[in-house]
Amino acid sequence: MAPLKGLERNYPLIDSNFQKFCATHGIFTLEDFLVHDIYLLAALAERDYASDKLKQGITQILTILDCQSRPCINGLELLKDAENNKCVLSTGCERIDALLQGGLRGGHVTEIVGPSSSGKTQFCLQAASNVARQYSGRVMYFDSGNSFSPKRIAQFLHSSDRSSTKANEVSKKIMSNILHHSIFDIFTLLDMLHQLVTNLKTQVDCQVRILIIDSLSSLIAPVLGGGGAHGHGLMVSAGFLLKELAHEHNLSILVTNHMVAGEAGMSKPALGESWKNIPHVRLMLSRRHGTNVSSISLLKHTYL
Amino acid sequence: MEISTLPISASQRGKLISAGYTSLSSLSSLSPSSLAQDLKISETEALQILKVASQRNGLNKFENGSRAIVNGAQTAWDMLHEEESSIRITTSCSDLDEILGGGISPKEVTEIGGVPGIGKTQLAIQLAVNVQIPADYGGLGGKAIYIDTEGSFMVERALQIAEACAQDMLEYNSLLRKDFKPCQVNKEPKEFLDNIFYFRVCTYTEQIAVINYLEKFIFEHKDVGKVDYLEVKVIIIDSITFHFRQDFEDMALRTRLLGGMALKLMKLAKKFNLAVVLLNQVTTKFMDGSFQLTLALGDSWAHASTNRIILYWNGNERYAYIDKSPSLRSASASYTVTGKGIRNSASNCKRVKLM
Repeated sequence: MAPLKGLERNYPLIDSNFQKFCATHGIFTLEDFLVHDIYLLAALAERDYASDKLKQGITQILTILDCQSRPCINGLELLKDAENNKCVLSTGCERIDALLQGGLRGGHVTEIVGPSSSGKTQFCLQAASNVARQYSGRVMYFDSGNSFSPKRIAQFLHSSDRSSTKANEVSKKIMSNILHHSIFDIFTLLDMLHQLVTNLKTQVDCQVRILIIDSLSSLIAPVLGGGGAHGHGLMVSAGFLLKELAHEHNLSILVTNHMVAGEAGMSKPALGESWKNIPHVRLMLSRRHGTNVSSISLLKHTYL
Repeated sequence: MEISTLPISASQRGKLISAGYTSLSSLSSLSPSSLAQDLKISETEALQILKVASQRNGLNKFENGSRAIVNGAQTAWDMLHEEESSIRITTSCSDLDEILGGGISPKEVTEIGGVPGIGKTQLAIQLAVNVQIPADYGGLGGKAIYIDTEGSFMVERALQIAEACAQDMLEYNSLLRKDFKPCQVNKEPKEFLDNIFYFRVCTYTEQIAVINYLEKFIFEHKDVGKVDYLEVKVIIIDSITFHFRQDFEDMALRTRLLGGMALKLMKLAKKFNLAVVLLNQVTTKFMDGSFQLTLALGDSWAHASTNRIILYWNGNERYAYIDKSPSLRSASASYTVTGKGIRNSASNCKRVKLM
């Protein structure tokens, strides 16, 4: 919310007189305007000598505030949007797709939680290679642990594609659609997400289908806690940005999280209670000790 | 509140919010002097804040429709070629190299942990010597940074390993490269020691300070104009656990510090294309109904490295097991610690055991 004096340039009605009037009632920004009693303000404006101009100024501010609010849509439009735009992306593993009734849904933020070496990065790599291959869409991969392995992606592609004559060309085309970026702190992540928001608005044909962040918890862990709420603020704003990206641009977003020790010796997902409500779908991986087999369970889903 | 997502200090943030600037648009058309007056700070500080805000805003306004969705992104295809042409640091033990896919790979953070006496420091010294093997012999030809927190680096041992390495290189030269030009670089063992930069840290603050300083250090030692000047190609920290284990009161602070340190090391590995090797100690954990040995520093630290290798005893032999890796299979191999350094174990069973 901008301070009132910043609006003077674009809206000449909000002149210094009006600002002085507002200042006498403790209103310096649009936010203050919202929490103040409008009727009381209008009544006080009446009593002032330049009452008409002041009332026009109040109406002007109310119109500015109206422009800033979101448009409302009804349930039928939402259903049409969900059926047509938000399609389901298969993860490349049949059983996981069966668990999720189709796969990763566009517009959803899916979180994968698991202890170390339970298969989270492998899941992300497989999902990336499958989306690039099956849906020929672009994949954005944000990696904070240098664990993006192009060799492994090539392995996934070759295992599903038996013919070796055109395999190289096809691999090249598919792998050119997987874009990788290394991110090492939360502020860079927020910058990247803002960039993505703007660029997806302006470029209609880039066809980004899925955004994978591996791992979000290692980016947030250094700022979380420590007495201040700033870390939580950053985490929640990152979460909201992700949800906005997913909904507006029909992306499917996959993030990974790790586990920490909870009470009674059981592990619980990291990032705490505030993060719990942000992803739409939460999956938990666990690996039986000494074997290659992992099991996946659904912790939270919006409609399953 | 968009202001809270800018990388500025807490006091600046507090002043901005109390003066009413909560969104980026409110800062967009402001001059430094008026901002300085409003917040009662110096003009240079105001200029700094406006620069950070305009950087974020500048990302939002994109002219000339460039095709990149996100600046600086690389495609997987390019990365595959880069990875295929990158050289790994050999461990001088062919079994170990085999399960590691050739050796310790650059651009990744590898964590090696094991019980005391298993040979972690020996392996670290071997890697510090092997990174200097010139490119003609299939090595990286780089320098090593050795950060010692426990005081277990023995210079005499490093000299011994360096002598053995130089001897091996000489043998290789004479045996296989008879028809080619003999390799000009004949390394003296003392030259190996020249290229190991040694830091001794005694507290965790020093450890974090050294890691913060490394970026500047590596940059300074990068290109000095000479033709065959070597760059730093491996950072070894022995061990990363030591100062974080002894009576650290605030566990949450420890997690935050370790997380921040891990990210900085990842960034160094990626930016300067070097390998980072961290040595860790072990602890017992009650898991699945029994006490088992796991690496120290807790669950959150387990996610901080790209690869994890656990060294353990099996009977009378030393084994290495790959616990976590994005591209390598779980496998174990045996090795021995000899007078010359880490070498293949002379056991009867030469096959790599797949788990």
